Amino acid sequence: MSLAESPAAALAAPAWRLGPGERTALVVVLAGLVSALLAPLLPWVAAWPDAWVLPVTERVGSGLGWFLDLIKPAARLVSGALAWPMAGTTWLLAEAPWPLAFGGFVALGLWVGGPWMAALTVASLGFVLASGYWTESMNTLALVAVSVPLALALGLGIGVLAFEMRRIRAALQTVLDIMQTVPTFAYLTPLLVLFGFGPVVGLIASAIYAAPPMARNVLLGLERVDPEIREAARMIGTSRWQRIVEIDIPAAMGQILVGVNQCVMAALSMVIIAAVIGGFDDIGWTVLLTMRKAWFGQALLAGMVIVVFAMLIDRMSAALAEPERRGDPRIARAVLGVSVLAGLVSWTTGIIPGAAEIDLLDPVAAYVDAGLTEFTKANGAALDQVKNTAMFYGLLPLRIGLDDAVLPFTWGFTWDRGMSAWLLGLAGAGAALMLWRGWLVAATVLLAGTAVMLVGITQLPWPAVVVAAAALGWRAGGWGLAAFAGLSFLAMAAAGLWDRAMLSIYLSGAAVLICACVGGALGLLAAVSPLAWRVLRPVCDTLQTIPLFVFLIPMLMFFQIGEFSALLAICAYAVVPMIRYTRHGIVSTPADLVEAATASGATRWQMLRDVRIPYAAPSMLLGLNQTILYAFAMLVIAALIGTTGLGQAIYIALGKADLGLGVSAGAAMALLALIADRLVQGFAAERRRALGL
Amino acid sequence: MTNAAGAAPAIACEDLWMVFGERARRQLDSARSGGGSPARIAGRLHDQGLIPAVRGISFDVKAGELFVVMGLSGSGKSTVIRCLSRLLEPTAGAVRIAGEDIIAAPPRRMVALRRRKMGMVFQHFGLFPHMTVAENVAYPLKVQGQPAAARAARALEVIELVGLAGREGAYPRELSGGQRQRVGIARSLAVDPEIWFLDEPFSALDPLIRRQLQDEFLRLQSGLRKSIVFITHDIAEALKLADRIAIMRDGEIVQIGTPAEIVLHPADDYVAEFARDIPRGKMMTVASIMQPVGAGGEGGGEDCRGPALATAMSLDDALATCAADLSPHRVTDGDGRVVGTMRPDDLVRALGAVAP
Ligand SMILES: Nc1ncnc2c1ncn2[C@@H]1O[C@H](COP(=O)(O)OP(=O)(O)OP(=O)(O)O)[C@@H](O)[C@H]1O
Ligand SMILES: [Mg+2]
Repeated sequence: MSLAESPAAALAAPAWRLGPGERTALVVVLAGLVSALLAPLLPWVAAWPDAWVLPVTERVGSGLGWFLDLIKPAARLVSGALAWPMAGTTWLLAEAPWPLAFGGFVALGLWVGGPWMAALTVASLGFVLASGYWTESMNTLALVAVSVPLALALGLGIGVLAFEMRRIRAALQTVLDIMQTVPTFAYLTPLLVLFGFGPVVGLIASAIYAAPPMARNVLLGLERVDPEIREAARMIGTSRWQRIVEIDIPAAMGQILVGVNQCVMAALSMVIIAAVIGGFDDIGWTVLLTMRKAWFGQALLAGMVIVVFAMLIDRMSAALAEPERRGDPRIARAVLGVSVLAGLVSWTTGIIPGAAEIDLLDPVAAYVDAGLTEFTKANGAALDQVKNTAMFYGLLPLRIGLDDAVLPFTWGFTWDRGMSAWLLGLAGAGAALMLWRGWLVAATVLLAGTAVMLVGITQLPWPAVVVAAAALGWRAGGWGLAAFAGLSFLAMAAAGLWDRAMLSIYLSGAAVLICACVGGALGLLAAVSPLAWRVLRPVCDTLQTIPLFVFLIPMLMFFQIGEFSALLAICAYAVVPMIRYTRHGIVSTPADLVEAATASGATRWQMLRDVRIPYAAPSMLLGLNQTILYAFAMLVIAALIGTTGLGQAIYIALGKADLGLGVSAGAAMALLALIADRLVQGFAAERRRALGL
Repeated sequence: MTNAAGAAPAIACEDLWMVFGERARRQLDSARSGGGSPARIAGRLHDQGLIPAVRGISFDVKAGELFVVMGLSGSGKSTVIRCLSRLLEPTAGAVRIAGEDIIAAPPRRMVALRRRKMGMVFQHFGLFPHMTVAENVAYPLKVQGQPAAARAARALEVIELVGLAGREGAYPRELSGGQRQRVGIARSLAVDPEIWFLDEPFSALDPLIRRQLQDEFLRLQSGLRKSIVFITHDIAEALKLADRIAIMRDGEIVQIGTPAEIVLHPADDYVAEFARDIPRGKMMTVASIMQPVGAGGEGGGEDCRGPALATAMSLDDALATCAADLSPHRVTDGDGRVVGTMRPDDLVRALGAVAP
């Protein structure tokens, strides 16, 4: 793996004045070259030596364990206190006769969103009831119902505090940023140790996980309140508390309700994810169980229940923000009264069948199962073909490099050094051509890309990766970010998490690449064709409402456990922001720019290429940023269906209640996400500046 | 207009500075240690990237006085009024309300002062978007702890006063700009404050309503005698309402004086420019340019001839009366007492473009 002629060509042009981009490119190429040359001579360059691994995870584990032991009594007190509301809501929703809860929700829907919402509620809950998963769903909902008020209170408190105390605002915002990047499973291990097995873990985890979006929106809302309103309140002589409660919060209510919606959705998602802990008969657990047993009909049905639920809750909490949609409270109360009556009747006489006896959709599940078996029998070979092609010709080379992935068994021949030389020569020639045209950065990208394909992401020499991360950091955000990126990677290596981190980067990198291409193309399509957007939009909406967990079911059905299924699941979830932001960026090109281009006679295509896409670049970069964060979030969930890397480490740690591994791997994931976030944000900010936005 | 001698002015501010930016206080101290005029100091602060919005201002507002602050946009008027009400913490200087240093007042005292003593009308109204007109107007009373029935009655009263009867149930977003402004005025009137800060309270109104409200305002003021700081950039409004006017430019006061002084003896071209286009004959009254008895008018106009002029007469009318006889005239007040003399040359100077 020598990069022979390339950098020589790059260095052969000393006459240039190098901009920051060029300097970064040079540093990256040089680091790659030096590492590649040194690797055969010095084994510690090729791979981080075991002797250098510090006992970080053990220390973290023992330190945290000690601390958790310390606060365990308090925690147990909390879980004891929470047991009461838990029991109460569980009884009300799951154990009391179902007409009570059913009617209660319909009344709520009616009040919140009028007759349409009530109809939607009836349809959704009817489906849930018919599916036979009523009790499981209500158990899940009981957890959500207890965790949401906690999360709302926590988020409101943090948001108001951050607003009132200027000095801690920046610090709190950083904490919220970090909380958003910590993978969901990573919350669970310490909570498991703290609270012991049981539903309380999921409850607390979801309250913690759902608080940040609420806090963010509260802060945003308060910041947007016209300062003169606040001044008017002060001039009237309100106390601080009075002003916050009577003026600030009501004036910011619109944005706060957006926060409520996000908070509820996050809580639902986390409660379902927390089912992996087991021990509670909720709908997440049902999905997991049926998936493990390969009862895909049932898994799909349970997954549908989750989706229906998520949509219903989403619509209902979104309707909260629109007071003009409120239905007549008297009718709502009447509905509630009838449902209480029906509940009583059902309880005393047993005329209405219990939720457990309703299984109208079982035949459907059985039919799906049968159909699926049929389908896989008929098309299994083709599906395997798809999977294997993607694995052998795409993923594997990316992971371990062409030099190791090309085998007679799959490719029909063996890779040898000559081929490496050829490939590099070709890339070098291409790079030289680009250099001649003055595209130094593009030449570097070509060279680096070729080198990565040849060596494989997971086998890149670590010094090259560290230097490249730091160089990119410097380019995107200056020395601070450079130090942060470089040191983070070093820390991962020192903690013995290097290989896992690289595996995670490889899989999420592949997914992000696919999402960027597919999502970018779809976004473009949606921008130029309103019809395409009309089709894509509900799909995007739905994909964003579905709890992460559910994405795994169809992938598993068709492609079994493995990296390919995980990749598909990640892509399906992470592609949405790319589509949205691309479209948004292109569509929102200012009219005067478009008019100017039209006036100068640009064709549609020229307009797109020369005006709209450059203008949309910052927005597209933000979309990419979201896509990366989504991919990381899903990567961890996808560990359930067999990925390697940090996600798997976190999942394993959860199973063994291994604090050290779980928290360290979670921190590593968060670091990777933060670095990616800061890098892309830095580039996006620069593009915005360049465009004068 | 004036208080008994010796009593503290209703509002006094002394060498007031408001500088926006990082570490403003320290920067101001070091800039001031270099000496020089406020403009020089402000220049230094400006070079540091700070915004010196108010630059060493001093003035008094006597009890019962209607004090108008005028100036171009961005000259620092709103910032001054915010310092007086301590919505902003001044970077330097003192503000005293009835002799009490409010910059040093603890928060609790400020709350009490604002509940009972001060009212403010905001340039952009500052209405509470989640409250109806009636709730907005009644809110200060609620904060004072008044019972609901009393609040509602009083709110209705002031809403009628500003001519918004019938719109009590509307939300601010459903009102026009002028209507919103009147809600803002009503809200600050509800508690009947002794000290009233008004930041361009009539700017969003159409001329007709504006004149009505100005007249109403004067009528109210003649009865209530509040101490008022009134911001406007309409010279006609200033001349009509003011007891005294302060003209601001770039954060400094360039002149303080009665309407007549401002018009007859502008301190510089900037001030003169303000007063240039006003229809003086219509705007000014005899009272503003007469020589009061005992101050040059001597014993009551022995040497005067012709019919007496009334204090409330406009200069145009006075001119019509005096045109036949260009000699000093007696001036009488509403009760027919002689209060001063009017010299024709003053009249001519006031009406003409003749600068002093
Ligand atoms: N919070 C602030 N931070 C920074 N600068 C401010 C702030 N408030 C006001 N300024 C600046 O202070 C200067 C004076 O502003 P101010 O609002 O007092 O002007 P004004 O005389 O009321 O103008 P207008 O007639 O337009 O209302 C302006 O240059 C303004 O930009
Ligand atoms: Mg102003």
